[in-house]
Amino acid sequence: MKTKLFFAFAAFCCLFLAYGTYQGLVVAPTEETMGDVQRIFYVHVPAATVAFTLFFVNFLASIYYLWKRSPQADALAATTAEVGVVFCSVVLITGPIWARYAWGVWWSPWDMRLNTTLMLWLLYVSYLVMRRSSTGGSTSVLASALAIFAFLDVPIVYMANRWFRTHHPPPMLFTPRIDPRMGHIMSINMLAFLCFSVLICWFRYEMERTAQKINAGHIQRAAGGAVGMMLLPAVFFATPGHVAPISYLWAGYLAAWGIYVGYLLFLMSKLAKLKKEAAEVGAG
Amino acid sequence: MKVHEGPGMTGSFAKLAWINVSKDLRLEWRSRDVFNSMMFFALIVVVVFSFAFEREDSRPVMGGLIWIAFLFSTTMALNQSWARELRNGVLDAYRVSPAPAEALFLGKVIGNFILITLLECLMAPLFVVFYNLSSVGPLWQLVVVTLLGTWALVVNGTFFAAMSIRTRNRELMLPLLLLPISIPAVLSMVTGTTQVLSGDGSPNVQLKFLAGFCVIFTTACFLLFETVLNAE
Repeated sequence: MKTKLFFAFAAFCCLFLAYGTYQGLVVAPTEETMGDVQRIFYVHVPAATVAFTLFFVNFLASIYYLWKRSPQADALAATTAEVGVVFCSVVLITGPIWARYAWGVWWSPWDMRLNTTLMLWLLYVSYLVMRRSSTGGSTSVLASALAIFAFLDVPIVYMANRWFRTHHPPPMLFTPRIDPRMGHIMSINMLAFLCFSVLICWFRYEMERTAQKINAGHIQRAAGGAVGMMLLPAVFFATPGHVAPISYLWAGYLAAWGIYVGYLLFLMSKLAKLKKEAAEVGAG
Repeated sequence: MKVHEGPGMTGSFAKLAWINVSKDLRLEWRSRDVFNSMMFFALIVVVVFSFAFEREDSRPVMGGLIWIAFLFSTTMALNQSWARELRNGVLDAYRVSPAPAEALFLGKVIGNFILITLLECLMAPLFVVFYNLSSVGPLWQLVVVTLLGTWALVVNGTFFAAMSIRTRNRELMLPLLLLPISIPAVLSMVTGTTQVLSGDGSPNVQLKFLAGFCVIFTTACFLLFETVLNAE
């Protein structure tokens, strides 16, 4: 049945991710100048790939919704935007952790690549806010229109590395300039994280459909985020001058997985709530 | 679709758009409530920032400062331009009217554009007075940057104001939607303005980028406006 298939896929994803992470942390050769901290790339780049892919799916689903008005497409658009924001957050958090070591600063305010990625994140957060605050039937149409606008900015973000002066390393995969083993492991990780995102999207999509069925439009936001935001500034101010390079690597991995696991836990609690609500209404 | 003949409904697309422009401007001329509050807000921003910055070192931040003043007063004007149509169900009347929705949109955009451009013309002398400002680069470039930047803000802003008016927390939604979408445009407006004012570097790249941005987003607005207006 569907559930069996889901759990089989989940198990596959776990194994694949474990393999990818092992490859990235242990097998991959150490980079010459950046040392072990470079291994953050094996979570940073796949997260970016996944985020861009999901935003693209969101764009396609939105167009399809405007064309056919199918509730499935709307659920898919809502799902991909939310999961995309999660992956984009991982990009935006692991990036500065690496940059603090490699560049010596958390954020370079005049770097177009960084700004445009942040802008993309803001865009899709505003998309989610929009979905939450619009009324009744107009939500899906307005959100689809907004999604199309948001996606128009994506090519700008993608090309920012090439058009503007930036410190951000350009995409190097499949170029002869890197060790083929690194490229190989990067591809494994990209695939693993893509599978992982499909898994989360699947989970989230089923929930969105349930939510549509019981017409529970108002979904609660994660309250834990507020506590996290209050703790975050403390970390930035408390950074001592000399930190062992390896701790940046651990911080990057911890942050990335903290976000993924946190999001999964959030989804679980939401699912429990939805199930309860569905049982009360008698739909499902 | 067949356009029904009747008073106020005859005529081409351009004529319909013009009717909207002249109606908006006439309303604004008689009440002047949007313009006055916009003007006052921009004035406050200029004065407050003039306390915060020394005259000598203000030139590198002038681009940002000018656009902060314009951006926020634009947001004020845009919210009002659609909120006005909600009274007496005017917006619903537009939706059942056989006139093309794009004509209404174009009329609104042009009306807002004229309003904001007027504001900018009136604010320019104030910037000169408070910050002892003069342009090192050629002035026509400054004019082109300002016109393109204003168009980019107004066209997106009018669209997103129409969208946010449909949500529960109306006026609050507009900045949330408009600002992230226009970040690329704002970045190049600010950089371009600073480049002309301080004379280091040519703003040609920024001009091209802004022009491209205007073309792409104007097209998208026109294609999607009817959908947004009729969303239910």
